[in-house]
Amino acid sequence: MVAETARAFEALEAQAQTLLSTFVAAGHEAVAPAVLQPADVYLDVIGEALRARSYVFTDPDGDEYCLRPDLTVPICRLHLERHPEGSKQGDYCYNGSAFRFQPRGADAAHPREFRQCGIESIGVVDREKSDAQTLARILNALDAAGLKDWKLRIGDLGLFRALLDAIDMPERWRERLRHRFWRPVAFREELENLTQSADHANTSGLPDELLKSLDPAKPEEAAKQTAEYLDSNNIDMIGVRTLEEISLHLARMAADIRAERLPEATANLIEGYIGVKAPARAAGARVKDLMRDTGVDISPALDRYHKRLQHLSEMGVDITRAEFSAEFGRSLEYYTGFVFEVLVPDLGQTSPVAGGGRYDGLMKMCGAPENVPAVGAAIHTERLLTAVRG
Amino acid sequence: MTERLQFALPSKGRLMEQATEALAKAGLEVKKTGNERGYLGEIVGIKNLDVLFVSASEIAWYLKTGKAHLGVTGADLVQERMTDWETRIKMLKPLGFGFADVVVAVPNCWLDVRTIANLDELAGSFRATHGRWFRVATKYINLSRQFFVAKGFNDYRIVESLGATEGTPTAGTADLIVDITTTGTTLKANGLRILDDGIILKSQANLIASNVANWTPQTREAQNEIMARLGD
Repeated sequence: MVAETARAFEALEAQAQTLLSTFVAAGHEAVAPAVLQPADVYLDVIGEALRARSYVFTDPDGDEYCLRPDLTVPICRLHLERHPEGSKQGDYCYNGSAFRFQPRGADAAHPREFRQCGIESIGVVDREKSDAQTLARILNALDAAGLKDWKLRIGDLGLFRALLDAIDMPERWRERLRHRFWRPVAFREELENLTQSADHANTSGLPDELLKSLDPAKPEEAAKQTAEYLDSNNIDMIGVRTLEEISLHLARMAADIRAERLPEATANLIEGYIGVKAPARAAGARVKDLMRDTGVDISPALDRYHKRLQHLSEMGVDITRAEFSAEFGRSLEYYTGFVFEVLVPDLGQTSPVAGGGRYDGLMKMCGAPENVPAVGAAIHTERLLTAVRG
Repeated sequence: MTERLQFALPSKGRLMEQATEALAKAGLEVKKTGNERGYLGEIVGIKNLDVLFVSASEIAWYLKTGKAHLGVTGADLVQERMTDWETRIKMLKPLGFGFADVVVAVPNCWLDVRTIANLDELAGSFRATHGRWFRVATKYINLSRQFFVAKGFNDYRIVESLGATEGTPTAGTADLIVDITTTGTTLKANGLRILDDGIILKSQANLIASNVANWTPQTREAQNEIMARLGD
């Protein structure tokens, strides 16, 4: 547990003031969202896994609440409360407690209760610039707090998405791969399934005749055929999934059965990409090399990657201290693009002193009508204090 | 600690009648002691034994904590209430009544979903379209979680439901359910279908022993007598 001596508390508070003042100077508004948050939003965002790593409980009214495991969701909710349409620009900063259950018991680097100091920028349309700004401001704050020796680990989930989009395969396979990306073992299995010639289409038990007659290129017709099938079998439509959703998915399954298997070379390309680990600048070239002679072109996504690095350089960030890892960001399911962690040699790889990234889907999950560009990062203040004091 | 075997039986309903019947068939006559509306009893001719009439779901807790040595209740209730049930209790004998399956059921109109794997591959696009995970209504929170973890399905969230679970997909409060069924009629009437690989547990009433109760030679003897009469 955190030793809450008055001195440690004061030291953390003083450090937080230093960090916050740099954020405020950069134009972020200091806010203090509620510690107690409705569990609902978190459960929808993180899933049932939340219960395994947070403090979730039922209040006397039977409503579920949790001690916030981070401040990003509370900030999104705060922004939505002010601007229900969600897309208006908002730059926030905060310093406050967050809570995580530690299954193997808490230790100094992984306490149950800790303070996060961070920033979130919501609704900024120039994504690469906003990404770079977020990282630059975090590094600036760390510098002001006295941290000199750090390394960066960066990733870009947008590159992976672009790679899948650029490879010719049925949309349903893409969804399957994207969906399993977060779980390395399941992902590898899926990739193997798609390259094997045997029927791994998961279609047993489906209405055969209907399946054979559907064409994903004609969604309206597919919906009509599906409606007829339901009608003649006296099956009522219930639930939130629409006829169009069901028929489109059926049609994709049909296409899947008829599709050629994924070529071995393509599977290797995907595996090859996931294995890329290199200094930030060299990584772009490495990825480009992988694509050579494959007919797969992800230049727009790579351009965005380089543009972000360019912004970072111009903002004074020493890019040579950054290593790119294609796989990084895999365990954090709400990130959608740029991700980063600031590492300090003394604390090791599993205890980053700060981290963050882009989460364009989170605002919608919190209730915004559409996806909203958003990026943010937080500093683990206890770790930072340990790092600067040595 | 008491040296009398504490035997927990269901205190009401079909389960109580069937439990009493099954024991009577083996020559074990259960009698209430004292007040007819009381919750204590005995088995005629068995020494050192008290019968405790408890609600079926409480019996799991009695066995888990060792408050009862033996009990009769559904395997579903025991497994739901104890994540470590295999170390805490021992299923001695299935009793041939109280049959019920704990199953995963989806709207029958989901023609594209026959298996958990179908559900899993759909989770991403469902979330993209509806802005949330699949909601699973159930009172079997632990059984559901364990089953889905074993199947590699993680993208759902549980909505606790303590009654009329079959109605939740129609009402729109859940997308699919995990519930108990005996004939499947209620599921069908509510437009639901069991997934092809959606049987979580085939449950029936069991005679169950607690591993953590205070077992003495006297209580063992009483248990052996009961087991002998039940033909084991």
